[in-house]
Amino acid sequence: MTTMSNGKKLTWLTGTLFWGCIAFSLTLHVVVTIAHDAVRRHGAWAEAFQDFRLHLFAPGYNFFLIGTLNTLPFVLLAIFILFHLGTASQQEPVIVSRRLAGVAGALVIAVGLSAWAHIGTILHPDAQGALIYFFLPIYLMGLIPLGYAVGRLAGTLLFKQPVPPA
Amino acid sequence: MTQKHIWLNLGGLIVLIGMIGLFYWTSTGTRAVPAMTESLKNKDSKVRVAAAQMLADIGPAAKAAVPNLLEQALHDPVEYAGTTAAGALKTIDLAAARQVMTAYLPALNDGDVQARRKACAMLESLGPVAKPAVPALIVALSDVDARIRMHAVGAIGSIGIPATMVIPALTKALHDPSHAVRHRALSQFAFSISLTESVLPHLKELTEDRDLSVAILAKSTLNSPHRQAKDRTSVYVTALQMDIKIADITAALMKDALHKLAQLGPEAAGTVPAVIPVLKDARPLHRYLAAEVLGAIGPGARDAVPALTAALQDEDAVVRESVAEALRAITTAYTSPKTTAPK
Repeated sequence: MTTMSNGKKLTWLTGTLFWGCIAFSLTLHVVVTIAHDAVRRHGAWAEAFQDFRLHLFAPGYNFFLIGTLNTLPFVLLAIFILFHLGTASQQEPVIVSRRLAGVAGALVIAVGLSAWAHIGTILHPDAQGALIYFFLPIYLMGLIPLGYAVGRLAGTLLFKQPVPPA
Repeated sequence: MTQKHIWLNLGGLIVLIGMIGLFYWTSTGTRAVPAMTESLKNKDSKVRVAAAQMLADIGPAAKAAVPNLLEQALHDPVEYAGTTAAGALKTIDLAAARQVMTAYLPALNDGDVQARRKACAMLESLGPVAKPAVPALIVALSDVDARIRMHAVGAIGSIGIPATMVIPALTKALHDPSHAVRHRALSQFAFSISLTESVLPHLKELTEDRDLSVAILAKSTLNSPHRQAKDRTSVYVTALQMDIKIADITAALMKDALHKLAQLGPEAAGTVPAVIPVLKDARPLHRYLAAEVLGAIGPGARDAVPALTAALQDEDAVVRESVAEALRAITTAYTSPKTTAPK
């Protein structure tokens, strides 16, 4: 594979991760809520969608607010990815690989924790359960850098600098 | 990725945020009133309920929706849609809410049990605005049907004022032959109505009730530290003077604080300086409740007379009526049950 095609691949990957991150955070609550409602109603997807739309700004539900809160840490992560990977092509391939590993670690934490919190809350409803929607962004802000650090460390161990010929 | 690509993506993100912001702006506040008003005509009752809830949240700015809400409150075949519309009216237009009350009052004497039950539910949803319905609801406490008595207790508790009528009526309901009615009456003292010394012996009696849920609730009500009326007064004043203006939360806290203060009567005399500014609040329900608080305090609210006199020109007829009553009460001797905490 040539250097040029690697650069294009990285550009494509950066753009995909940037917009994918934002799209995931915007749609996670929508998808989980509608899917759960539709399954509960034995496949009535249209009704589930209508219900979701009704409660987008309804007092006591405010799905819009939940979606927005969930989006905040992902938008910050997406901007970080854009600059971190977007400028990586100027670096050595090993640094690019390590950065990719770090970003992968951050994404695993962000996507995993977010999906687990949303699915868990809807499957096991509780009077105080909705509080997770307020605390989740705070947890994510702290855990995403941790995920990056773990990923970067793994990358450093996996991708070694090539030893120059003697 | 070039610098140009990076800034293009960031620009795209800013456009997306702008579009989301625009969607939020057009879907909330007064901008949403026409769409919500249209939704009140939807054939799906869930849509009508959600629309009424959103209009209630918007408050007085949703005045254009009053005719449709009134129609829904008076004629919707689905009871919950009707009660939600009535609940919305009390935050938008008190006179319209009183129209609902007037329409449902005769139904309390209807031969059909369902009609009487629905009337109680509608009056309950109107809350303190349905104050003139209290005497009729007290009569309903003697209904032969236990469900009607239970719903009447709920309605009286939701209205909550005047305490001089509400507390004796609910105290009487604590001895109803039906455990469901006793439990409902006890719930009012546990969660909504200020405890008075006269009620305490009845609560103590209920700790030995043959129904376990009633006995447990009676014990927890008596042991609750939140029954300290004087402590709560300072909490209510804090709620009235909150600097944080988060529309729904602030409005709900203010409404609750004013409602409780109106039940305390002369005991709440120390809160007069905090209540006076509420007479100019944007929400008619708050202005109405502020007048009710001052009226319930009576002569102790003498400092509020100039503000009340100015409030006689209030745009809402129900507020004006309440203000006039308050002025009368302030210049006349007023007695209310002494509020105290259990020992």
